[in-house]
Amino acid sequence: MATTVLGSNRRGLVESVFGAVRDIGARVLRELRYALATPSGRIGLPLVALHLTLALVGPLLAPFPATDFHLADRFAGPSATYWLGTDEFGRDIFSRVMSGATSIITISLAGTALGIVLGTSIGLTSGYLGGKVDEVIMRVMDGLMSFPSLLLALLVLTTLGPSHLNIILTIGVVFTPSVARVMRSATLTVKTMEFVQSARLRGESATYIIFREVLPNTMPVLTVEASVRLSYAILLASSIGFLGLGVQPPSPDWGLMISEGRSHITDSPLIVLAPSFAVASLVIGVNLLAEGLREARELPEGEQTE
Amino acid sequence: MARLLLVRFGLVAVTLFVISFAIFVVTMVLPGDVATQILGQGATPDNVAAVRHQLGLDQPWPLRYVEWVGGAVHGDLGDSLVQRRPISEIIGRRIGNSIMLASFTFLVAIPAAVAVGIWAGVKRNSLGDRAASMLSLAAISLPEFVTGVLLIMIFSTTLGWLPSSSIVEAGTSPLTRPQIMVLPALTLTGVMFAYIMRMTRANVIEVLDTNYVRSAVLKGLPMRRVLWRHVLPNAMLPTISVIMLNTGWLLGGLIIVENVFSYPGLGRLLLTSIQTRDTPLLQALALLIAATYAGANLIADLAYAWLNPRVRFA
Amino acid sequence: MTITPGPPPIRHRPAQESVEQTRDGVDTEPPLLEVKDLAVTFRTPRGTVWAVRHASFTLRRGEVLGLVGESGCGKSTVAFATIGYLPGTAEVRGTIKYEGRDLMSLSPAELRAVRGSRVAMVYQDPGSALNPTMRVGDQVEEVLNTHCAAQGQAATDRVRELFTSVGLPNPGRIGRRYPHELSGGQQQRVVIAMALACEPDLLLMDEPTTGLDVTTEATILDLVTELKDRVNAGIIFVSHNLGVIARVADRVAVMYAGQIVEEAPVREIFTDPSHPYTAGLLSCVPAPPNASGEVPLLRSIPGSVYPASEPTVPACLFTDRCTIVQDVCHLEPPPEVTAEATGHPVRCFFPDQVDRTIWGAAEARTPRPRTGDAPLLDVEGLHQYYGKLRKKYGLFGPTVSRPVRANVDVSFQVGRSRTLGIVGESGSGKSTTARSVAGLEERTAGEVILDGEPLAPAVAARNAAERAKVRMVFQNPASSLNPALPVGHALVRSIRKARGVGKDEARAIAARLLESVGLDAGYLDRRPRELSGGEQQRVALATAFAADPALVIADEAVSALDVSVQAQVLNLIAKRQREEGTAFMFISHDLGVVRYLSDDILVLYAGHVVESGPAKAVLRPPWSPYTEALLSAAPVPDPDAELTRIRLEGAVPGLQRPFAGCPFAGRCPRYLGDLCDNVPPPMQQDPSTPGHQILCHIPLEELTVEQRKTFAEA
Repeated sequence: MATTVLGSNRRGLVESVFGAVRDIGARVLRELRYALATPSGRIGLPLVALHLTLALVGPLLAPFPATDFHLADRFAGPSATYWLGTDEFGRDIFSRVMSGATSIITISLAGTALGIVLGTSIGLTSGYLGGKVDEVIMRVMDGLMSFPSLLLALLVLTTLGPSHLNIILTIGVVFTPSVARVMRSATLTVKTMEFVQSARLRGESATYIIFREVLPNTMPVLTVEASVRLSYAILLASSIGFLGLGVQPPSPDWGLMISEGRSHITDSPLIVLAPSFAVASLVIGVNLLAEGLREARELPEGEQTE
Repeated sequence: MARLLLVRFGLVAVTLFVISFAIFVVTMVLPGDVATQILGQGATPDNVAAVRHQLGLDQPWPLRYVEWVGGAVHGDLGDSLVQRRPISEIIGRRIGNSIMLASFTFLVAIPAAVAVGIWAGVKRNSLGDRAASMLSLAAISLPEFVTGVLLIMIFSTTLGWLPSSSIVEAGTSPLTRPQIMVLPALTLTGVMFAYIMRMTRANVIEVLDTNYVRSAVLKGLPMRRVLWRHVLPNAMLPTISVIMLNTGWLLGGLIIVENVFSYPGLGRLLLTSIQTRDTPLLQALALLIAATYAGANLIADLAYAWLNPRVRFA
Repeated sequence: MTITPGPPPIRHRPAQESVEQTRDGVDTEPPLLEVKDLAVTFRTPRGTVWAVRHASFTLRRGEVLGLVGESGCGKSTVAFATIGYLPGTAEVRGTIKYEGRDLMSLSPAELRAVRGSRVAMVYQDPGSALNPTMRVGDQVEEVLNTHCAAQGQAATDRVRELFTSVGLPNPGRIGRRYPHELSGGQQQRVVIAMALACEPDLLLMDEPTTGLDVTTEATILDLVTELKDRVNAGIIFVSHNLGVIARVADRVAVMYAGQIVEEAPVREIFTDPSHPYTAGLLSCVPAPPNASGEVPLLRSIPGSVYPASEPTVPACLFTDRCTIVQDVCHLEPPPEVTAEATGHPVRCFFPDQVDRTIWGAAEARTPRPRTGDAPLLDVEGLHQYYGKLRKKYGLFGPTVSRPVRANVDVSFQVGRSRTLGIVGESGSGKSTTARSVAGLEERTAGEVILDGEPLAPAVAARNAAERAKVRMVFQNPASSLNPALPVGHALVRSIRKARGVGKDEARAIAARLLESVGLDAGYLDRRPRELSGGEQQRVALATAFAADPALVIADEAVSALDVSVQAQVLNLIAKRQREEGTAFMFISHDLGVVRYLSDDILVLYAGHVVESGPAKAVLRPPWSPYTEALLSAAPVPDPDAELTRIRLEGAVPGLQRPFAGCPFAGRCPRYLGDLCDNVPPPMQQDPSTPGHQILCHIPLEELTVEQRKTFAEA
């Protein structure tokens, strides 16, 4: 039953990956449970959960469709009908905020997930294989990282055009290098541990070692990094929306709402305040969750690169 | 150490070339044609072709790249397609404004943030530290544009103390009306301050737990000496790298803040160039920003290497 | 030049006087330090830790009190409590009186005045105890500036004096260096100089030589014993190493689970212990061979150390492991009594029943003679170089760094079912050898032949059968097991891969394997963090045995374990060899352990083999001069053992350039001159013992004669 280094027999590979995915799911849940035990996590996780729920059911629960005009009631103040008043087109602010949750959360989550999956695969492989492969990959990552992320995002979006998918892709690509860096560094730490050497002596394939031995031990670092990236993703996505390069009107994007609402502050400050509060509370929640995850595992507050 | 310098410089040069190439390629693919924009939708294909020829857009792109890079190295970035003026001139007038804004942030935010971070780290878990942590968490959770708009709402709309936008007459310096700089600077400073403070605090806490600080304390040294000679020099090493790396963030923040306040700087120019499909201007700005970031990273690396005896006297 | 001491004024007493007073047993001087009923408890959010449950002792000037115990016994905590450095979570009870003043009631300002000037500390890891961004001379000067009111040139001169007195080379210039530019031994001397700067009355030394090479350790211990006579201070010396304690201490306090269980003058502790734990410790520590060259069998103490996280119960805390336990031991905590037979304080109900044989009569471990069989493993000309030749400008310019020559022309054999002990210090290349043989690193050159078949350099290139034959056990038990997976996972996988059986059968085999190392089958599903260090290492052993290997490489496998647990693992290794005929390559820096276990010994220095052969032959003259120095330096758990005073200066040479002559030429006490520097020495075969060879220019007969003389003089 000879196995080679890269790529074992097909069944072994599938087995490894499936096993890893099941495993990872269980570990992520465990990290979240640990985070709940910390004061930061106790506030952060429910806050994030709230927003996630909003993202899922927001448009359904909103009293009015977010794009409906009510021209007779423009700039109305808060009332029983319009809980937060209306904007310059008479659209219900409350409904718009509730509906806006979906797009920004979907985009941020998907973009972060993409960045994490890509970055982790690259970082783990590069870190484990070492040598020339590692050097080349890291140079490429460094090259990508030499752009400030907003700039890179703007350039890519202008090229590809503003659609949900493109923003997700952009965020994913922009985040991959930092995630790869962090995961590579975690891999290097785990790689030196003797149980990895024992696995090599047993003749385990590189795929098995990376996914079943190394990856589970990087979970604490990974979950913290994922939550930090998520907060950056939300900031990035909303900034892109603000600059008008993201989702186009009349979609209820929070960043866009703030941008459009700037000229009507005197008429109805809630046009700006409501989405601001929404964004702020979401990011604070994610940041608190990140703090909780970090505290639960007593990880140091490492370098926060962009 | 000398070898390190050489390698680093080499890397930066290579990186810059790669960046310039990437920018060029990306902007090449931009949808929308400048010529059509200039002439309007109803232009005839012949006219469009003529304008394109005039602007040199019909030459093969590798040639255009080489020309561009050659020019850039000499400081000649070509002409703006929309404004029909040398880009270096356009940038030259605005770059000072952005630098002023960035400098203010750097010079004010950083020393203040480092000082507060040190204090918070030393007084770990005290009431003051917890308050600082909470406030800084809130600060980094707000996107710059939200902070900016909120500040406008408070100081401009409600209190009327400061203007809500920073537009000045073309050609004049913002310094003629310094009040337009206050809010943008405050916005930028806020978030930067929070990041640096948290980073410094974390580094100080980490250093306070080391064995050599323990040695210093057990030598009976007065606390002030322990802080100045043992804690700070070691905590500042990683902090300095982070400060330099955060320049990248600062550049991004600059783009947003200038747009919130319509401040006449490079960030505003960047967005305008995107909206008007002014490709050469976009390329030039992107290159400039990326090069600045690369330069900051280089300085960070070198500063760290010089300050860390383990690297300097390897 | 005079130094004005800061308050309180130093009372100088001529050193001789006070030592004589102690010798006479006349107690005219009040004790320097009086610790009474000290208890330290940490209340952390994760639970309570009873670090010190009860400690009382006194210390006089000019005397060294050794605090010995295993991990978690609280000895370091006692030292830190004495200098008042405990975290905020600590609850302290009892009194610590220094010259009559209760140290714990001092204000922060008073405490600062005492620290560094009257009470000073030396730490375990000198590299991390020094500020990396400050020159070492400045770090010592600080103490003088703060406490002795010495400034400027006066202070710098005093620093140079101090550096000379602790034996640092170039005392005038070394102060300008940064810590990372010094070797481990030099760093520790700087820390000692820092502690001595203001002539303290009380010196606390917390494992100061742990982590240093044996030869370096010997020089530092020399320094400490010399200090004892020169400086009129009381010293508390904390260590887990009985050999080290035997060398430096005048009196010894043995600690177990946060309590001092016995206290006695050093000789009596070793010859006539009054507490079962002390007797047990002595039986666990590998002792040097007796006059007829026999090595006593190691007895191990079953179980593991009573954890500091368990509360104090009203019973003796040693009952689970004690060999003379009786009913009363479970019901009441033993009082501190004075043993009738010996007259020293001990915490036991039955101190008079205790002697060195209660854990088993001393038996000799019979070494096995060589058979004529073909060797199992044959390594020829192993070279292992790391890194590449780098020039300043890519392909041109002066060379900036060269490859590190970790193993140069290393050749040896491991006999079937025999144990080869590989001994050497840092930089010797012993771990590299292990990894190269195992295939974890690809060797640069050389042949590795197992069972007649050559092995590929990389483990991934070997086939499954070859892989099954060679397994490894590592130093750090905690990272030898994957913390994210249950303990049985690697074990079961190993069995399945090697024997091709199904899951259930593999589990059954795994359970049997665990039992063979003394753990029950329930451990299969536990996580590594639930196991103690000793248990983890036993699992690691079982996992190595799972593939039924012909050769197991143990790379410092017992170095990170407590003494009482070490013996368990060593005995398991011996048992495996007896029962299954597994051969072992046992790598260690601890000569005592190698001596105990090995049939053959290989001595490495700076990547070269300097001596090899059957254990008995290597352990007696003729020796290679390096082996001689090693044996001379190794601390022995016998206070009366007068070791020969062969001391090595300097440090292991850099490994980047090939040696023109002998690698040991720079430090060899038997250095001949140019011959040693420029001509590679021959590997001389010992005519009296086949298989014994020594790398040296000096003819073996001459060596034998000279070394027997030095040995006899000792």
